Amino acid sequence: MQKFSNLKLQVKLALYNAISKALIILAIGALLPLLIERVVYNHIDKRLVARLEKTFKMVEIGGLDEISLDQDCSFDSYNIFKEEFLSISPLPKLPPDYGKNHIENSEREIDNEKVKHRVLTRAFIYDNQLYKIDIGEGLSAVDQLNLTIRKFTLWMLIAVVLISIFLDFAFAKLLLRPFNKILSEKLINVKHPNAFNYQPIKSTTYEFTQLDTSINDMMKKTRETFEIEREFIMNVSHELLTPVSILRNRIENMLNDPTVSHEVAEKMVESQKTLSRLTKVVKALLYISKIENAQFLKNESASPQAIIKDVLDELEEWLQSKGITIQNEWKDDFVFSPCNVSLLHTLFYNIMTNAVKYNVENGKISISGGLKDGHFVVTIKDTGIGIASSELDFIFDRFKRFRPAEDMSYGLGLPIVKTIAEFHHINIQTESEIGKGTTFNLHFPSPDIIS
Amino acid sequence: MNVLIVEDERQLSHEIEIFLTKQGFHCDVAFTGKSASEKIFVNSYDFILLDIGLPDISGFQLLKEAKELGKDAAFIVLTARGSIDDRITGLDLGADDYLAKPFSLLELQARMQAILRRKHGLKNNTIQIYDFLMDIQNRTVYHQKNAINLTKKEFDILHYMALHKNRVITRVQLTEHIWGDVLEEDYESNYIDVHMKNLRKKLSNFANSDFIETVRGIGYRLNMA
Repeated sequence: MQKFSNLKLQVKLALYNAISKALIILAIGALLPLLIERVVYNHIDKRLVARLEKTFKMVEIGGLDEISLDQDCSFDSYNIFKEEFLSISPLPKLPPDYGKNHIENSEREIDNEKVKHRVLTRAFIYDNQLYKIDIGEGLSAVDQLNLTIRKFTLWMLIAVVLISIFLDFAFAKLLLRPFNKILSEKLINVKHPNAFNYQPIKSTTYEFTQLDTSINDMMKKTRETFEIEREFIMNVSHELLTPVSILRNRIENMLNDPTVSHEVAEKMVESQKTLSRLTKVVKALLYISKIENAQFLKNESASPQAIIKDVLDELEEWLQSKGITIQNEWKDDFVFSPCNVSLLHTLFYNIMTNAVKYNVENGKISISGGLKDGHFVVTIKDTGIGIASSELDFIFDRFKRFRPAEDMSYGLGLPIVKTIAEFHHINIQTESEIGKGTTFNLHFPSPDIIS
Repeated sequence: MNVLIVEDERQLSHEIEIFLTKQGFHCDVAFTGKSASEKIFVNSYDFILLDIGLPDISGFQLLKEAKELGKDAAFIVLTARGSIDDRITGLDLGADDYLAKPFSLLELQARMQAILRRKHGLKNNTIQIYDFLMDIQNRTVYHQKNAINLTKKEFDILHYMALHKNRVITRVQLTEHIWGDVLEEDYESNYIDVHMKNLRKKLSNFANSDFIETVRGIGYRLNMA
């Protein structure tokens, strides 16, 4: 059923038409011979009754002698093609349906040849003697006709179904062309409302033009929402960051003021730290919003291995000071495209800093990459303090912090990772064990392997 | 040196003015695009600090006009709008640098000095700190022709300290300058101390490095006459 549920509409229409036509023709093919048989029998029966009456008249006028009986008082007469016959024979006793016409099909052996006939039988009394009269007419012509009709129907069936499939397929294709165009141009290949083509798609089908218009309207609304959100982000940035900016510069000026005592200066430094923290939180939240608002372009290509190398270069001194060794195990590399290199850099940077920060002294970080089940997978595994399984589901939630209290993090590093990953359709799976370490598996979409 | 500060947020332009005046700049302030436009037309400035979000005229419009007038002032675009396109648009229109709010005044000064170095050739390409010579171009520190093997971050710290000599620089200021706009959390804020310790150790292998002073509870200062 899975296969059927994915059939193209065009194919489905053609198939449905072909099957329904075949069924109709089959029904006609089955019913027509029966109908013809009934009509033909009706005619034959009328003819047989007429002949019987004619025979009785002849007997009335000229007696049975007229039809010259044999020795045993019976009479048989066949025409030359054995298509019709008349036979009279004496009957020993009165039948229950005396006086009534009895008609049935029966085989008659004539000159050692069995021929199917329609036979009218009737008993009558002549000269105190009981006789039976049989008048028959051959049915081979009728059977022939039925056979011909059946053959004809079969060939018609095959021909009509074949032509129908071909024609319906072509017609459905023509009919559905605007629909397929709407699908490919307005739905499947649309990544962002700004990259949407609002040009109406030509169609003479009412439903398709309706569909096209509706999609256009919907897209317009989405685009407006995006624009409003973008405006909002810009306003929030301005309204939040400008006062922070004033405070920050004021503190800097005060720190440089020789009349400010050392004790006050120390308080100022604490305020500066607080302000720096506020700035980072606001910036991180805005950063997430901007990615979600698709303000970042996705038009570059890069290999994850190269980006991770850059990140490692940046963290080199920190790694050294903590005595952490890096173990690189790249099976293959691949070029990820389209992507935003700067965002991917932040993604790996945040995962790596987590791996360093929560690692033990002289710990290890293993980085590996390679194809797994048709996807390129990058794995970053640390030997850090680990995360409890009950908390593992929430590590990508904003402002969730499970780390020790003295830790100064804001809980936005991993939410940023998640947002960037979603922007690039990268699927992240995490495993962790308390005291052993945490593993991040990044499953990249669409493989494009460098050989 | 003349600086025009175009910023509608009066408190902010005031703080920038205080800072730059102390550094020996002569400052003019404009709160609207219109007044800025007039000032640019009449006066000649070495630096124009331009806020993009002005109430009347867009900062970009001002930048375009000034460039068309053939003004050779160095433009530093300031913005808090956080739009990614702003940076690109600003630099495309010929701005010399871009600072996102909130920025450190020390960072502003460092950018201004970098622009000066670029504009006036490469004369001030070395800084003498007692027995040490910093080559900015090659990013190397020498002690009597001996190159000292500093890491990138150690060099950046020494350079920033030298730029702001005789001034206490807080750990926050140093960290933000060294690590830039990194969007990770502020891991181990004392990490800068590790860099500083290594830097001092490397320098004192060659000569006295006491000119880097630790100011308890606040930060560091490079003392130089």
